[in-house]
Amino acid sequence: MSANDAVIEVRDVFKVFVAQGDAQQRRAFLALHDVNLAIGRGRFISLVGPSGCGKSTVLNMIAGLVRPTEGEVRYGGTAVSGVNTDIGYITQDDNLLPWRTLRENVEVALEFRGVPAGQRREQATRYIAMVGLNGFEHHYPHELSGGMRKRTALVRTLIYEPSVVLMDEPFGPLDAQTRVILQDELLRLWTGTGKTIVFVTHDLVEAIALSDEIVLFSRAPGTIKRRYEVPLPRPRDVFHIHADPRFPEFYDRLWNDLREEIGVVQLEAS
Amino acid sequence: MPALEATGRLVGYPTGRGAELLAQVEAQERLQQEADERSTTLGRIVFGLAFLLAWELASGRILDQFFVSKPSHIAAALWAMLTKEALLYHMQFTVIEALTGYVIGAGAGLILGFSLARLEFVYRIVEPYVVAFYGIPRIALAPLFILWFGIGITSKIAVAAIMVFFIVLINTIAGIRSAPAQLIQVARVMGATEWDLVRKVIFPAATPFIIAALQITVPQAMIGAIVGEFISSNRGVGHLISRAAGFLDTPGLFAGIFALLVIVLVMNYAITKLGNHLMRWSPRKAVRDVP
Repeated sequence: MSANDAVIEVRDVFKVFVAQGDAQQRRAFLALHDVNLAIGRGRFISLVGPSGCGKSTVLNMIAGLVRPTEGEVRYGGTAVSGVNTDIGYITQDDNLLPWRTLRENVEVALEFRGVPAGQRREQATRYIAMVGLNGFEHHYPHELSGGMRKRTALVRTLIYEPSVVLMDEPFGPLDAQTRVILQDELLRLWTGTGKTIVFVTHDLVEAIALSDEIVLFSRAPGTIKRRYEVPLPRPRDVFHIHADPRFPEFYDRLWNDLREEIGVVQLEAS
Repeated sequence: MPALEATGRLVGYPTGRGAELLAQVEAQERLQQEADERSTTLGRIVFGLAFLLAWELASGRILDQFFVSKPSHIAAALWAMLTKEALLYHMQFTVIEALTGYVIGAGAGLILGFSLARLEFVYRIVEPYVVAFYGIPRIALAPLFILWFGIGITSKIAVAAIMVFFIVLINTIAGIRSAPAQLIQVARVMGATEWDLVRKVIFPAATPFIIAALQITVPQAMIGAIVGEFISSNRGVGHLISRAAGFLDTPGLFAGIFALLVIVLVMNYAITKLGNHLMRWSPRKAVRDVP
C-alpha cells in the first residue's frame, strides 16, 4: 500500500511518559520507540501486543489526545494537532453519561454538533433500532446490562458518521457470549460503510475474526514487530471462525510471534 | 435487572408458569412494600406520642418541671405565642434571614468553587487558605458581622451565608474535580466545546456532591440566623427564645424551639425533593433476590 491512500500515518513516532508524583519520583519511561504505521482508508486493522506496549497510546495520538514526543501523526494528509473530532473513539469503559437516558446519550454528539432536535430524534431512533435497543430509549445506563450499554456506546459513536473509528478493547469487560454477538453486530454495522476501524485487543481470535490486517507490537518500549494480512475471506462467520481451515495455522503463527514478546517479559520478572 | 430485561426483546418473553410466578412475585412485593411503609409510618407516630406521653408523665414527678416543662404547657405557650406575640411575624424574619443567607452563601460557593476548580494553578495557590478558613468555627464570625452590618436583618443574613458558603465551596470543588477525565476526553472527541463540557459533562458529574452540600447546609443557615438573633435583635424566633430564657419561661423556650423545628423540616423537605429530582438518574435500589 502506498502512503497516498493512507488515511492515518504514524511517522517515526517516539513517546516518553513521565510518571506523576513527587519531584523525586518523576521517572520518565519510553512507551513507543520509532513507530511507523500507515492505515489505508476503509480497512479494519487490529493492534495486538503485550500489556503496556503502547497500543492505546497510538490510538490516543490519532485522536489528538496525546502528542508524540518526536515524530508525527498525520490524519487525512495533515498533521494531527489538537483533538481530532473527525473520528469516533470507543473505549473499554462505555463512558455513557449516567445522568442521560439511552436516547439522550445516543443524541449527545449530534447536540455538540448543533444538529436540530427533530433531526437528532429521527437519527437516534434509526440507530437505536439497528442494535435492537428500541423500547429502552428512556432507561438510564445503570438500568441496562453490560451488552446493552456497549451497544449504546457503539451507536452513539456511529451516529455522527466518523470516517475512522478507534476501538480500545471495546468488548474486553463483556462475557464470552455477548462478546461474540457484539463482534458479529460490529461487522454487520461496518460492512459496506467504507469506514476505517483501528481496533486494539488482547484477544487473537477476536483480531483474526474481525480484521483485514493485524499489527503486532513488541513489548515496551513498543515498536511494530510484524504486520499480517488475515487470510480469511469476507463475509466472515464470527461464531464459526475456528472452523475455517486456514484459521489454525494463522493463529499459531501469530501466537508464536506474540509469545516471544510475552515470554521475555515473564523471564525478566522472575 | 431480570424483570426489566424480560420486558425487552433481548431476553425473551416469559410464558406459562414462569409468567404466572413473575406476576405473583411482583404483586407480593408491592403488597409487602406497602405494608412496610404503613408500619414504618405507624411506628413513627407511636414513637412520637410515647415520647410526649412519657415526658408529660415524668415532668413534675421524676424530673423538675421548672427545667423540662411539659408538652401540654408547651402547647399552651405555643398557642399564646401564635395569638398574642405574633409568632408568625417573628418566624417570617427568621425564615427570610436563613433563606436569603442560604441562597447567597450557596450561590457564591457554587460560582467561586466552580471557577477555582477550573483554574488549576489558582486553586493550588489558594487551597491552603480555603482549608484554613473552612476550619474556623464559622459561628465565631457572628459578633464580627453584627459589628460590620448592624443589628438589623443584614447581619443575620451574612452569618447564615458564611455558614453555608464554605461547605458548598469545598463540595463544589470536590465534585468538579471528580468528573472522570475519560468522560471529558470522549466528549471532546465527539465535538464538545468547552461550554458543552461544562454544562453537559462536568456540572452534572458534580451534582451528587453539590446536592449533598445543599442538603447539609439547610440547618447550618438556620443556626447562623438564630445565633445572629441571639447576639442582638428585636425580632425573629431567636429573639423570642432568648427573651423567654430571660424570663425563665421554659414552656416559651420549648415553644420557640418547636417553631424552629417546623421551619427546618419544611426547608429540608423542599431541598430533598429537589435533590431527588436532580438525581433521578442515579441507581438507588439493587434487584432483590426472591426466596
